[in-house]
Amino acid sequence: MNFKIIDPLIGAGSGAAIATLVYFILPGDWNMIPCMIAGGLSGMGIAFFLTLLLMPFFGAFEVMIPLHIIGMITGMMVGMALTLGSTPTFCLTTLGGLTGITVAIIIYFSNKKHLSPMRNSPTNPL
Amino acid sequence: MATSSTKGYDRVANVFDFLRGGDMKRWCAPQTRLFENMNGKVLYVGAGTGQEIVNFPPGLNITAIDLSLKMLEKARPRAEAYNGKINLEIMDAHRLAFPDNSFDTVVTVCVFCTVTDPVHGLEEIKRVLKPDGKLLMFEHVMSRNPLYGLILKMMSLFTVALEGTHLDRNTVSNIRKAGFAVEKEQNAYLDIVKAITANPN
Repeated sequence: MNFKIIDPLIGAGSGAAIATLVYFILPGDWNMIPCMIAGGLSGMGIAFFLTLLLMPFFGAFEVMIPLHIIGMITGMMVGMALTLGSTPTFCLTTLGGLTGITVAIIIYFSNKKHLSPMRNSPTNPL
Repeated sequence: MATSSTKGYDRVANVFDFLRGGDMKRWCAPQTRLFENMNGKVLYVGAGTGQEIVNFPPGLNITAIDLSLKMLEKARPRAEAYNGKINLEIMDAHRLAFPDNSFDTVVTVCVFCTVTDPVHGLEEIKRVLKPDGKLLMFEHVMSRNPLYGLILKMMSLFTVALEGTHLDRNTVSNIRKAGFAVEKEQNAYLDIVKAITANPN
């Protein structure tokens, strides 16, 4: 299984799904800040259930960490977008998908840094 | 008498391999690298269903222990297929029924997130490990990154209630508290999943 390809795909799919679900959960007539906070929390809640669904196939931590970050960021963005007026659903879904890919790529490079020999030196205090 | 944790592990024994399937696909290479250091008489603590046996080097004399009979029943075919000797025993990591200085290597995989008193469990391992022996641990620990740490803390509320797994333990610090010297700490995923080598001196 090539996780270099699968991880961004999981990120994209999850981001798109979270964006769509948050769009249907949140009311559009709230103020921006409460809607953004509610969006972030709803996104993380959806990410929790997606984690339970995906971790037996793709690994617990490798799914849990990116999905919760994607859920929080996507949820907040969709929450804000809802207060700005009528945004087409496909735009929010695409935004969620792109956020998912971006987070997966950032975590891939963050992980690469953690695996580097310098990080794993016995004298490294980190 | 079966304790509540024994019953918990017995309950998840049938689905344990399915739940850990993704982890085993991810962690095969770093586990194999860590287990290359196994030698002599080996104690495998918290064997579970024995999923890691495929990553062990061949030809070793291994005693595998676990709290749950049902888990060990699932581990039996893997132990029998191993090219070496694996003896399965029901035992609690807090009370090891072996004399002092019995083993050359002790191996644990994702065990010290669930052991009730991790420092006491590690002290027991130190007792049965020979002075020139090695402790090899493949464990997940609390992250130093605040964002990852927050996610682990939140998920830990759920995993502790479900199967007694703590995602927010500082196992490296617990190893030192038990009197071990950490020789090597290799990250396997971010700073959360680690391959740790320690010695009892």
